[in-house]
Amino acid sequence: MNLIERVIAISRRRSPWICRLNAGSCNGCDIEITPLLSPRYDAEQLGVELHGTPKHADIVLISGTLTLRSREAILDIYAQVPNPKAVVALGSCPASGNVFAGSPLVLSESLDSVVPVDVWVPGCPPRPQAILDGIARAAKLLEDGATKSQLESRRGRLS
Amino acid sequence: MAMLKTILGNLLRPPRTRDPADMPEVPPVYRGALAHDAARCTACGTCAFVCAPKAITFTQEPGVSVSWHFFIGQCSFCGLCAQNCPTRAISLQADAPGATNSAAGDGLRLESVIRLQPCTRCGAAHVPLPDATIEALWGVEEAERGYCPECRRRAASEKLRAAFVPAEEAHHDR
Repeated sequence: MNLIERVIAISRRRSPWICRLNAGSCNGCDIEITPLLSPRYDAEQLGVELHGTPKHADIVLISGTLTLRSREAILDIYAQVPNPKAVVALGSCPASGNVFAGSPLVLSESLDSVVPVDVWVPGCPPRPQAILDGIARAAKLLEDGATKSQLESRRGRLS
Repeated sequence: MAMLKTILGNLLRPPRTRDPADMPEVPPVYRGALAHDAARCTACGTCAFVCAPKAITFTQEPGVSVSWHFFIGQCSFCGLCAQNCPTRAISLQADAPGATNSAAGDGLRLESVIRLQPCTRCGAAHVPLPDATIEALWGVEEAERGYCPECRRRAASEKLRAAFVPAEEAHHDR
């Protein structure tokens, strides 16, 4: 790895931009992101900036129960995030469907079966620090080139 | 003037922003991850029954053990399991679970094994009851401590019969 690549890798960790995607959430996890951006918990001390469009984001925060209709939207938005990218799943819902599992309009499966998830933040909803910790972990993975999408593209280049 | 005072006061105060590592302490009643005490569990299944998202399940290996499983990725931290546990084997810890890199392992799934014990009378494998429960339900007779539920019921009904029917009469009946 030459010097420029190293600088780029470090800057990926130092300023991860995030994009929030509600896949059918009750809004609990999304409400917890708001204090995360307030002066109290201040995600910007880690260089985190919330952006409305996935085209500017490095990390996608996906919250909520996956529904039949949101599946397509998740795939669409994930495809729009430029490489390298990381996915953070917030709360219990993306992992299993939580209390909504078994409902006819809900995909009662893990988010991992739709898009590759790098970090899981447990909680219902998770606390703001837990979300911040999850974002920091994802940013570290981006620096190391160890997110699932990065590993995937490296494998594709080798073969 | 009041605004100037506020500004000057704030200049001297430290910032309100918390470090990422500086977690505020959680209140003592905070419902965090579950902890399970296999020594107190009677495998009655109440927790699995009241769990709305079905995060708690039981599996058994016949004759050897019963396992209590908990998947944190399915838990909504409502605390019903701890509230309804008759022997208080489940407690909700005050610390929040941290982020993990995989959904499969890393403490997201807990397993707690309850070993079965042979009955001291008939030898049938059963889930041992905690001492406090035995004392509350069946009295404190030392000899009956290791009985299986079947033998315990039998011993209790024999005692009941002996209390109502005098020994000679019982003999006469037969």
